[in-house]
Amino acid sequence: MTEPVIQIAALTRRFGATTALASVNWSLPRGGVHGLVGANGAGKTTLIKHVLGLLRAQSGSVRVFGLDPVAAPVEVLSRIGILSEENDLPGWMRIDELIRYSRAFYPAWDDGHAEALRETFGLDPMAKIDTLSKGQKARAGLLIALAYRPELLVLDEPSSGLDPIARRDILAAVLRTIADEGRTVLFSSHLLEEVEQVADHVTMIRRGRIVLSAPLDRIKAEHRSLDEAFVSFTGTTADRTPGESG
Amino acid sequence: MRTPAAAIAWELCRRHRWGLAAMALYLAVLATTRLVVLGPEQGVTFEEDWQFALAVIVPLASTFTYFLAMFSFGLGGDLVARRSIYPARMFTLPVTHAALAGWPMLYGAVAMAALWLATRWLALWPSGSDVPWIWPTLFAAVFLAWTQALTWMPYPLPGLRVAVTVLWLTVIGCVVLLALHLKAPEPVMLALLAPHLPLAYLVARNAVARARRGDTPDGWEFARLWRIRDGLRQRRNRFSSPARAQLWFESRRQGGSLPTLPLLVAILLPFELSLLFVFRDTPTLVFETLAAVLITPPFLAAFVAQPRELTPFLATRPLTCAALIRAKLGATIRSTLASWLLVLVAIPLALALSNSWPVVADGAGRLIEFVGTPRAVVLGLLGLAFLLASTWKQLVQSLYIGLSGRPWLVKASVFFTLSALTLLVAFSPWVIRNGAMIETLRQALPWILAVLVCCKIAAATWVVLRLYDRRLLTDRTLVVGALCWSVAVLALHGVLVWLVPTVLVPGYLLALVAILAVPLARLSAAPLALAWNRHR
Repeated sequence: MTEPVIQIAALTRRFGATTALASVNWSLPRGGVHGLVGANGAGKTTLIKHVLGLLRAQSGSVRVFGLDPVAAPVEVLSRIGILSEENDLPGWMRIDELIRYSRAFYPAWDDGHAEALRETFGLDPMAKIDTLSKGQKARAGLLIALAYRPELLVLDEPSSGLDPIARRDILAAVLRTIADEGRTVLFSSHLLEEVEQVADHVTMIRRGRIVLSAPLDRIKAEHRSLDEAFVSFTGTTADRTPGESG
Repeated sequence: MRTPAAAIAWELCRRHRWGLAAMALYLAVLATTRLVVLGPEQGVTFEEDWQFALAVIVPLASTFTYFLAMFSFGLGGDLVARRSIYPARMFTLPVTHAALAGWPMLYGAVAMAALWLATRWLALWPSGSDVPWIWPTLFAAVFLAWTQALTWMPYPLPGLRVAVTVLWLTVIGCVVLLALHLKAPEPVMLALLAPHLPLAYLVARNAVARARRGDTPDGWEFARLWRIRDGLRQRRNRFSSPARAQLWFESRRQGGSLPTLPLLVAILLPFELSLLFVFRDTPTLVFETLAAVLITPPFLAAFVAQPRELTPFLATRPLTCAALIRAKLGATIRSTLASWLLVLVAIPLALALSNSWPVVADGAGRLIEFVGTPRAVVLGLLGLAFLLASTWKQLVQSLYIGLSGRPWLVKASVFFTLSALTLLVAFSPWVIRNGAMIETLRQALPWILAVLVCCKIAAATWVVLRLYDRRLLTDRTLVVGALCWSVAVLALHGVLVWLVPTVLVPGYLLALVAILAVPLARLSAAPLALAWNRHR
């Protein structure tokens, strides 16, 4: 049996009096698209930050590719592609500079693939990131997250940066491609519609606890829909589209 | 709150309630002392100047500085950035540009006036000096108004805000000092200062309007350097390593292709060196001008040394914390060298053009005559090395605080630094005049230095142990770092022993000075601070 990409054991995280993650045990097998869903503030981003090594485990352990992301940031981060909700690309860079800069960090960077993605996304190499729209910035972030064909792609609420067309077409196509190549995608969102479109496996998180982790097909079979499962496990109403989020 | 004016006032007061409360408490203590304890007829008097400085001048200056930062929104803005530091969230308020600019300016002017009038009234000034009421009030308001107007303005280049503001405020200060020197009467002072208020308001309103519509000019468009930069970019197609890429990133993020510090130095140098043309016949003023030029890079470095926030983008680069710090240090070395290259090219040029060479040559000749040629050369080189190192040190010494990403730590550090400076300024005149105290300090100097060295070594040991435990630096790096530091200390000690007669200053004292002079603990703590921030 192959080693899981992410292995989290008894992870607890507190911010003052607030418990963001409560003894989370979670394992992410290699391959496929894994949706991480939960209401706003459920603990999705906190969990992902632990995976990226941006938060140190207060108790419990986090292993990514069998390594501690805090102790071995280079080894872990060089194998992960990241597109976060914040998508804080340096505004002063231009697209060609961003590509040139990012390429230096990843030995597996594929120039041809990067150029193809740039053309697909319609990004002007001379455009300054500060002048791009939110959707274009998300595309630029996606470009540098995909161009080295990472083993694990982490997308943290990516739809907040994408317009509906990009959300529907680009993201689904990219996620499928990654998944087909045997890579792993961790896709966090509070929008069930998105998760339903792309995920094979869904993990639901509520108030810092994993309340369900199962293949999407099984969830749909056992409950009438993902929405119903979400309501039943998290006790909150599901968001379908960005416009309905609350 | 029924009006925008009241809402803006409330926000300012609410956000700075603790600072304002501290100031109110101080004024209350002063008022109680004067009106209740001593009686209305008897003023608060001070036997010594330092007591007056501590009780009046220091709180007054601190509050003045605090008001400058508070009413210009400088505490929450990025002074080095091109965009305005006026809070962007306020641009969406349904009020005019005039209101956005005008209300904070009005409140600031009133606060400054109240500060001066209250201090003037409550504290009896020493030596029966006739301290004026009106024009200092106006001067404080003008100073704040221009600070607001110039810091709210969007600029074409990063760092330009600091240079423009410092220059303009210096000009205003010099004009006032000149008027005082010429013993200008109060009406003249008022006539000099009064027009500034409406002028500053107009500039501020324009600045807010431009910032509100996102009108931030791009310096490179003005400089028409696009083509050159594009050509260079195509030639430099690939970075040879992640470290090179990160070094490029750090150099560029400090402000375009030109780092901020050399840019500021380049802006200030012509103004300073132009004084050589005026003072070329007065040796003292020539040397004072040169001294001012030489301390410009370290002085400016203290302003531009603002470690940028560790963004998630940077935190997720596959680099170790040590590599991220190395890139920062590399960028600051580049910036320092570029600044000093400018200074070292500009000084001989200005001396030659202004015909001030003979004055400097004469001074150098006298130095050689006094200490001998080898010592004079080493002294010059050591001075230059000291200035270079000071500039670099200013850029990097706060990394360990800024990179921690903890605002409370940054604020506490600023508070303690200001407090220490305040005490130093307050007590130093008293110490200088007190012969017994100077003798005590002279005798205690070795012990003071020894305690400081112990503190430094203890802090460095703690930092190195933490770095080792967390594997933030490799064993090799730790050993090489320790060796380099030791070599630098020994070399400095050797030069000092050769330069300073040991009869005058004992060798062990010079050793302590050398240990304290070469950076160690704070610099070593930078990777630790970054890791603390990066892996929270």
